[in-house]
Amino acid sequence: MGKIIGIDLGTTNSCVAVMEGGSPKVIHSAEGRNTIPSVVDPISHVVGDVAKRQMVLKPKTTIFSIKRLMGKKFKDESVQFDAKWLPYTIKSGRDGMADVEVEGRMFTPQEVSAIILQKIKADTEAYLGGKVTQAVITVPAYFDDSQRQATKQAGEIAGLEVLRIINEPTAAALAYGLDKKNAHTIAVYDLGGGTFDISILELGDGVYEVKSTNGDTHLGGDDFDKVIIDYIADQFQKENGVDLRKDSQALQRLRESAEKAKIELSSSQEAQINQPFITQGKDGPLHLTMSLSRAKLEQIVEPLVEKTLKPVEVALKDAKVSKSNIDEVILVGGMTRMPKVIGSVTKFFGKEPNKSVNPDEVVAVGAAIQGGVLGGEVKDVLLLDVTPLTLGIETLGSVSTPLITKNTTIPTSKSQVFSTAADNQTQVEINVLQGERPMAADNKSLGRFILDGIPSAPRGVPQVEVSFDIDASGILNVKAADKATGKEQSIKITGSTGLTKEEVEKMTKEAEMHASEDAKKKEKVESKNAADSLIFTAEKTLKDAGDKVNDNVKKEIEEKITALKGVLDSGSKEDLETKTKELSESLQKVGQAMYASKDSAQGKQPGATQDQESTTNGQKEEKIEEKEEDGKTSADEPVEGEVVN
Amino acid sequence: MKKKNEEKKENKDQGLIKKNEELEHQVKRTLADYQNLEKRVAEDKIEWVKLANRQLLLRILPALDSLILAEKHTKDEGVILSIKTFLDAFGQEGIKKIETVGKDFDPNTMECVHVAEVDPSAGSGQGQGEGKVVEEIKAGYTLYDRILRPAQVIVGKQQ
Repeated sequence: MGKIIGIDLGTTNSCVAVMEGGSPKVIHSAEGRNTIPSVVDPISHVVGDVAKRQMVLKPKTTIFSIKRLMGKKFKDESVQFDAKWLPYTIKSGRDGMADVEVEGRMFTPQEVSAIILQKIKADTEAYLGGKVTQAVITVPAYFDDSQRQATKQAGEIAGLEVLRIINEPTAAALAYGLDKKNAHTIAVYDLGGGTFDISILELGDGVYEVKSTNGDTHLGGDDFDKVIIDYIADQFQKENGVDLRKDSQALQRLRESAEKAKIELSSSQEAQINQPFITQGKDGPLHLTMSLSRAKLEQIVEPLVEKTLKPVEVALKDAKVSKSNIDEVILVGGMTRMPKVIGSVTKFFGKEPNKSVNPDEVVAVGAAIQGGVLGGEVKDVLLLDVTPLTLGIETLGSVSTPLITKNTTIPTSKSQVFSTAADNQTQVEINVLQGERPMAADNKSLGRFILDGIPSAPRGVPQVEVSFDIDASGILNVKAADKATGKEQSIKITGSTGLTKEEVEKMTKEAEMHASEDAKKKEKVESKNAADSLIFTAEKTLKDAGDKVNDNVKKEIEEKITALKGVLDSGSKEDLETKTKELSESLQKVGQAMYASKDSAQGKQPGATQDQESTTNGQKEEKIEEKEEDGKTSADEPVEGEVVN
Repeated sequence: MKKKNEEKKENKDQGLIKKNEELEHQVKRTLADYQNLEKRVAEDKIEWVKLANRQLLLRILPALDSLILAEKHTKDEGVILSIKTFLDAFGQEGIKKIETVGKDFDPNTMECVHVAEVDPSAGSGQGQGEGKVVEEIKAGYTLYDRILRPAQVIVGKQQ
């Protein structure tokens, strides 16, 4: 059996998605876009972006907004209204239904929509590499029986068996998995290219029921673009005395600039509009250069955003629910990316709306999920869990070193080689941590154990492999093994994923809140570790070099070591860094001296003997140091001079 | 009694065999899913590099548009050379300009932003006749024979 696809057959744009490997995937059109303009030339069978490009040339044969006519009678008030502004010819067809006439031929809205669906079908088949015969198609909640029937017929004409027609707001709720979260009453705010819909849904017996719906069939992104164009044109006229709207070529470029600025201002605070040679003035060419701030844009579009709130109030009243009874709010449609819209909705409902799923795709995604349920695929797929928080261990300087990052699908395992932080350290303590914060103390310790019996060796030489393994049920096994002796210790932690949703949210939020101060803290520890490591290297180098270094250099280095040691615990990050750099520079002289002496005294045995100053054997330095994770090859040979992360 | 036990055991065995088959099926399916995903990731990567270039080019093109406009207005030699440098570099990267003026309008590569009325009786004028491109507003380009950006054109139409 082939896949069941989910189609959002929209007024301005359409979108298609399919379940793949247990999760919904939006299929890009042959033109490489996630949505297809719902524009058709039924004569030449041109669809989507291509059809849109000929709209100006062939206004009478290029059909758009066909959804407005679906299943409607010609004499319907809305059809009469739309017939006035739609450039193509609308006529009364069989049974008084609204049909379109193109070059003397009559087309039903079903046939026109079917051409869009055919392209969707073909694009999907190209992507999936197989036949597609079944679909779930979405319609607005307010569509009546005749409109739903017409949508179904459109699917059939396109060669698709329409297994189910579902409501767009319901599809959006499915995309967010709200039915499983038991969100009882939800509001879906859908501001698209040309229409605005608000729906109040209620969950009963596992199915969403539409309690009320309202909206404005002629309010959308195009209206927003228009007010922005007007603002820019007015400003330009004030400055230059030329109305760009009268120059059709200038208007075209203005339109593009306005749309670009609108999109840019959703992510930045200011947008630059630069259109050189936009038009010809009295004294030569004129350029359009302007900067538009987000604040200004919000002021311009404020009335439009306000206009959406009235229908929302009516819908709430019709559903007999108050704002406070709404459990979840969902945003649908490209215009809901605008911060002003998100802000107004948040303020109105007093809660953050769901907006993590792409608002252009969310309805198609929901339809695909419904298709997956119908096809049994959603049930069939093994649902794999993920680790909600990062798991790691504590390393030198109380730093938390992650091994398995959050949102990793389990079961999984990961291992990394670490080393000792001090000479002759014979044991390491493994402190298993959970959380997003870079410092160990700020994360939750899940358990700890000690691996001892590590043979005495200089710091950085022993190799301790720490492996994390989480099984499908979330049980974490942590094992530490000394590669030299094969000695190992392990711990089993059962509660590694068993956090409540609140705990996870709290920890994630805290991590975000403290992100910058944590980063500073970690940087400081890193500089300290680097300094500490360099002191060790410097001392060792001096010792190994013996008399090959002249006393001046030796003295200089020793002084710098003392200076660095002096600030090791108390100094600022900058202090540590400068002193580390100074020492490092002086140290290079030793290297130069050694090479020089080697040249002059060939054959002389290098005086580097590894007689380490023996420290007490029972030293209990409990920190371990991270070794550079560099694949297995280099890990097998001892690395001289440890690497600090 | 004995027979009943045996029957029970057989039922249990059957159940286990079935369960085993199911699991094997599931493992195979999962592995297949994974391998397919790996293949697709490899393909996506290639596609992504192309797409990444597209995005970059689409951001750069408006700068070239401005130069072309400047050239139209000023006929400056330096500007003409600058444009040529651009187009030469584009050519080496598989980017071609879409030919428009005098050609039939093709919505696959062009976008009609205006129509200009043409007089059918005027005979063999420039761009003559219905459905032909009479002027290019903004140049369009293809990248390795796929549309990078359609050209914006004015198309002739009989009164």
